[in-house]
Amino acid sequence: MAESTAYSESWYRIANQRISLRTQVHAKRQYFRGEKWFVLEDPFNNQYFRLRPEAYDFVARLRSNRTVQEVWDESLERHPDDAPGQEDVIRILAQLYHANLLHFDVAADSAKLFERYKKRKRKELTSKLLGIMFARFPLYDPDDLLKRILPFVKPFLGKIGAVIWILTILAAGKVAIENFDALKIRTDAVLAPGNLFLLYTGLVFIKTIHEIGHALVCRKFGGEVHVMGVMLLVFTPLPYVDATSSWSFRSRWERVYVAAAGMIFEVFVAACATFVWAYTAPGAIHSLAYNMIFIASVSTVLFNLNPLLRFDGYYILSDLLDMPNLHTRSKQQMVHMTEHYAFGCKKSTSPADTPTEATALAFFGVASGIYRIIVFAGIILFVADKFLLAGLIMAAICVFSWVLTPMTRLVRYLAASPKLERTRSRAVAVTVGVVVILILFLNHFPFPSHFRAPGVIEAIEHPFTVAEVSGYLAEITVPADQYVVHGQKLAIVENKELEFNIKNVQAQYREAQLSLSRSLNNNSVDLASTKSRIEAIGKQLHYLLAQKQALTITANQTGVWTAPKLDEYLGMWIPRGTAIGQIINESEFHFSATVSQEEASRLFDSKIQGAEVRLRGQAAHFLPVTAFQIIPAEQDILPSAALGWSGGGEVETDLADPSGLRTASTYFKVKASVLNGEDIAMFHGRSGKIRFDLPTEPLLHQWYRKLRQLLLKRYQI
Amino acid sequence: MPLPTYDYRRTSTTTPDKLTAGIDAFVESIAGRVRRRQSVLTTLVEEAQEIDRMAPDWTHVSDRVLRDRLAEYQRIFRRNRHGWETCRGQAVAAIREAAERQLGLRPYVVQLLGTLVLHKGYLAEMATGEGKTLVAGLAAVLAGWTKRPCHIITVNDYLAQRDAEWLKPLYDFCGVSVGFITGQSKPAERFTAHDQDITYTTSKEIVADFLRDRLHMGTIHDPPRRHIRSLLQGQARNSHGLVMRGLDTAIVDEADSVLIDEAVTPLIISRQQENNDLKDSTTIANRIAEKLKKDRDYKVVLRYKEIEITDSGHAIIDALCEQLPGIWRGPNRREELITQALTAREFFHEGKQYVIQDDHVVIVDESTGRIMPQRTWRQGLHQAIEAKENLEISNPSETLARLSFQRFFRLFRRLSGMTGTAHEAASEFWHIYRLPVIKIPTNRPSQRRQLDNRIFADQDSKRDAIAEEIVKLHNQGLPILVGTRNVTASELLAAKLRERGLEPALLNAVHHQEEAQIIAQAGLKNRITIATNMAGRGTDIKLEKGIAERGGLQVILTERHESYRIDRQFYGRCARQGDPGCVQTFISVDDELINRFIPKVIRENLAVCVTKRYPGYRQEAVVALKLAQRIARRVAYRQRSQVLKMDTWIDEALSFTGSTSV
Repeated sequence: MAESTAYSESWYRIANQRISLRTQVHAKRQYFRGEKWFVLEDPFNNQYFRLRPEAYDFVARLRSNRTVQEVWDESLERHPDDAPGQEDVIRILAQLYHANLLHFDVAADSAKLFERYKKRKRKELTSKLLGIMFARFPLYDPDDLLKRILPFVKPFLGKIGAVIWILTILAAGKVAIENFDALKIRTDAVLAPGNLFLLYTGLVFIKTIHEIGHALVCRKFGGEVHVMGVMLLVFTPLPYVDATSSWSFRSRWERVYVAAAGMIFEVFVAACATFVWAYTAPGAIHSLAYNMIFIASVSTVLFNLNPLLRFDGYYILSDLLDMPNLHTRSKQQMVHMTEHYAFGCKKSTSPADTPTEATALAFFGVASGIYRIIVFAGIILFVADKFLLAGLIMAAICVFSWVLTPMTRLVRYLAASPKLERTRSRAVAVTVGVVVILILFLNHFPFPSHFRAPGVIEAIEHPFTVAEVSGYLAEITVPADQYVVHGQKLAIVENKELEFNIKNVQAQYREAQLSLSRSLNNNSVDLASTKSRIEAIGKQLHYLLAQKQALTITANQTGVWTAPKLDEYLGMWIPRGTAIGQIINESEFHFSATVSQEEASRLFDSKIQGAEVRLRGQAAHFLPVTAFQIIPAEQDILPSAALGWSGGGEVETDLADPSGLRTASTYFKVKASVLNGEDIAMFHGRSGKIRFDLPTEPLLHQWYRKLRQLLLKRYQI
Repeated sequence: MPLPTYDYRRTSTTTPDKLTAGIDAFVESIAGRVRRRQSVLTTLVEEAQEIDRMAPDWTHVSDRVLRDRLAEYQRIFRRNRHGWETCRGQAVAAIREAAERQLGLRPYVVQLLGTLVLHKGYLAEMATGEGKTLVAGLAAVLAGWTKRPCHIITVNDYLAQRDAEWLKPLYDFCGVSVGFITGQSKPAERFTAHDQDITYTTSKEIVADFLRDRLHMGTIHDPPRRHIRSLLQGQARNSHGLVMRGLDTAIVDEADSVLIDEAVTPLIISRQQENNDLKDSTTIANRIAEKLKKDRDYKVVLRYKEIEITDSGHAIIDALCEQLPGIWRGPNRREELITQALTAREFFHEGKQYVIQDDHVVIVDESTGRIMPQRTWRQGLHQAIEAKENLEISNPSETLARLSFQRFFRLFRRLSGMTGTAHEAASEFWHIYRLPVIKIPTNRPSQRRQLDNRIFADQDSKRDAIAEEIVKLHNQGLPILVGTRNVTASELLAAKLRERGLEPALLNAVHHQEEAQIIAQAGLKNRITIATNMAGRGTDIKLEKGIAERGGLQVILTERHESYRIDRQFYGRCARQGDPGCVQTFISVDDELINRFIPKVIRENLAVCVTKRYPGYRQEAVVALKLAQRIARRVAYRQRSQVLKMDTWIDEALSFTGSTSV
């Protein structure tokens, strides 16, 4: 509140007070970035307070049989320069009082106490409401239980445990690598509706182990763990324990161990699950084990280990860097930088002690801010997909707590912050200027605009090779995937019935011929009818012979003979008209793209400046598009199942359709001619994306349209 | 016999509302505007005229009947009985009649209006000479009838005694008792005076009594807690030894001076304390400070009155402190002391902020121009100034209790006040004290002529022009009152006039013994009076016969103040009660006000315009002045609300000490 000066006009208020720390308060020495700090801890209510050594030197001298004045005089005598000034003393005492760490003789001003209590309650409630995505409900005090278990597990928390852990992880890693394909294939189905229950069960199990890990290790180093309960993380009940007592551990490695213990335990369980998964047949256990592996790997990387959210990784990083309160201080650092450089507020002080620390803090602040926005936007979209109302509520809360609250805070800060007393006009001008420039920039500066659509490469000619006659596939003369020339024999179909038919008809023909000779000899009246019969039978015979010819399947064009199911067909009855494969002429391709309805309007409306295609797996190279053609009719069958959900694509398909080709909503097809890229392996059916370049357009307009499209598509708003 | 609630009430105060901020403050300021809207005045004017029309009903009533009726009204007000609002008009009319009979003065309609405004808890802005004392007296009768404590805060001891004695017949007649407290009152007298229905006193005395009571009470001030404690500990009367009987109604005269200009000046109860360390270190700090050069070793921030030590300054200090012991070793403490010494050198000047009397530094109050012998600056600064002046360094005083007027006056349940100049600070009155300001029209239309500001490029040409103007007016035989901002300026001007053969009377903090005489003669023909702000408030300059016809008192203001209210106070010395009068202001571009609050670019441009007499220079100067006063007002207001916030924070933060000063 005030400048730190040696004398305070309010000093008389405390000069003759007899104050001391509460008896149960312990002080522990800690080093942060090599600097000494003292952490005061009240085990009764888990309150912590961090003090500089000079301040601690003063506070530690407080006794209930001496006045503050005496203590201050003494500390001034001992450390004439470092001793806290009167203003500092008042501030420190006020903070300690607020942390309930002080003992004083005079009964406190009870009205003020009640006021404070009410204020605190109100604050708790608002923070609960604002933090509804992380609401906590304490349920159980596990301390006794932990104390009882500890002797049994203690050996495993040390070196023996480490050896076992490493061996298990290595073994599990080997199993996982051996089965990597199987592991990978199933990831797509993890979020399938049918798997959610198993996923959640696995999550609760893994997270319980995780929390027990924290608790045990914390207890191992003597930290008390008194609270265990349920946390509603984005409305999903999950277990949690309160291991904050580890914060007062003197060694930072101990603190790191406690923070990492959750993940260590989790990964161990996941390793065990890998064995279970690998050596069981498909079934509930098998699936559960798989889910546990998935959770332990994905959630650990995305959340726990990630220092940008305030989970384990954050505390670990904080301890490793020796920078406590990383989050708060990074915020302070950013505020300081704004105040100092942008607002010209010279008195603003950095929370960092060294330039390196300042850089680290600023970097952390920016990175964690961006990451949070991404994660939360993702969560909101995900939840909104499943439950529209909940999603909207969450979005509203987020808008309130991340947009409105900071904005009102910013306005209040600009309007009334005493720190800006001197430079308020500059601060306001800078802020307004930045906002105006940003809006102008976004609203006027044209940015390249484009949209993408998924699609597949199709060879321009790929006639199907069809069995024209039913029959058993007797022989494959050319195996699939070989280059064939036009007319080359590919396979032979056998049809005994056809042979019989031919023989039958040939016999009939002969009979008819003989009958004709007889009629000529006899000058019979039925000469004409016999002639026509011969003609008919001849035609039939000709037809049958042509069919017999068709039993030999030949290449109808030059190209690659593609027939994935050919081997299965061998010896099987093939009905007439079955496509047994296709011959693909790989000299020319086009890209067949599926453009959603939302984007289609832009496709038709605006002038497309150009387009290019990038293929999956080779996104670095692109294929220039020479021309494209929009097929002006809505379609609902995909050119390839690879584009649909069931094939891992992004187009939503009708789940009822087993082929995976029918889309949930109609789309427009665009056929784009592409040039063959030199570095790109073109083959039929390879999926990729086409990018249409539209006339440049300011970003704000682009975003607005995207938001509208999102709302329209998802919620028909 | 004291009532059971008597003990309780004598220590209870209201809990002031929290200061609002942000949108709340905005809404509150709208509420304030609603409370002081024009229609309130219109309604009250109608009510006052209504009362005026009742006059004939009372003129023929006998003294005895009048007294009985007054006693009846008193009972109604005392019991706070339903319907007392409806008989207020009648009651005021009766009091007015009593005033006419007892004092021989018949309150005008505007005075009735003022009475109503005060009784409703407003701040009445009344021009000088409109009879504020009587207005306060009438309103005090209404308040005194309730038997709740009613304090009338006057500007000085003399007025407290004079007003109380002058109005005593009226109060006696109306059945209310009156007492007064001055600086000389003994504790027993104070007790008796506070015990009366109405108590006249000064702001200093009442805050001092309040603080002494608080000290007497010890650590627990809260009435319920004190009572519980006395019940538990079996003390019969826990309020024994207290002087006051509680805070309820206050009518503050010159409210803007007390509630705004003086607001953050804390009243301190202290004891002298031997502190040789401080004496030594102040002397050393002064010696080091003398080696530092302005602009090279330190910079002066005029607007905020701050010193910034530069790198070269730091280097010099480091070198000089190398040999020194103890507290001079570390950088923090020593720079604080040296900054203080520099502050004393740069911002505190003899004849402006203080004068030296009998080898002591005596503070001159900037807004009233009076010396404040009891007051000292905050710890260390006073000593630094003494060191600078090579005087013997006095002992710093140790604070025992401390309270600013701002916080004290927020404790009254019903606060009202009067002053000649309030509307400039209307929003502050509302924001801090919940006092809506109402401007009361004058009884007779004002005949004050306000001439255009005269603008000069520098002090010398300004002083010459002032002297010429004075000579010109003097030759017309008119009385002249010249306002200067500080002692030095008043003496310089007096010397200049003496060179021209004139004999001005000088009224400032140093020459204040003949104050009453100087003021009494200021309205005489051919009289020249040079005064600091001392003449700005409460002085009533009566015109000699025949002067009014020739143009009345001529007021010349040689420099504008940071607050336009203080300028107006000074203007208010002329043209009282419908007399004529003339005001003119001389401004120089390098006046302190402009120097301090106008950015350099504008200042330089203005100086060029004024020197060259470019068209529009006058307008530019006036705009610059307005801007400067506006900025000054904002800076001052921010400082005041900052002090209040800080006090509130400390109160809350240190609530464990129990000894909350409020």
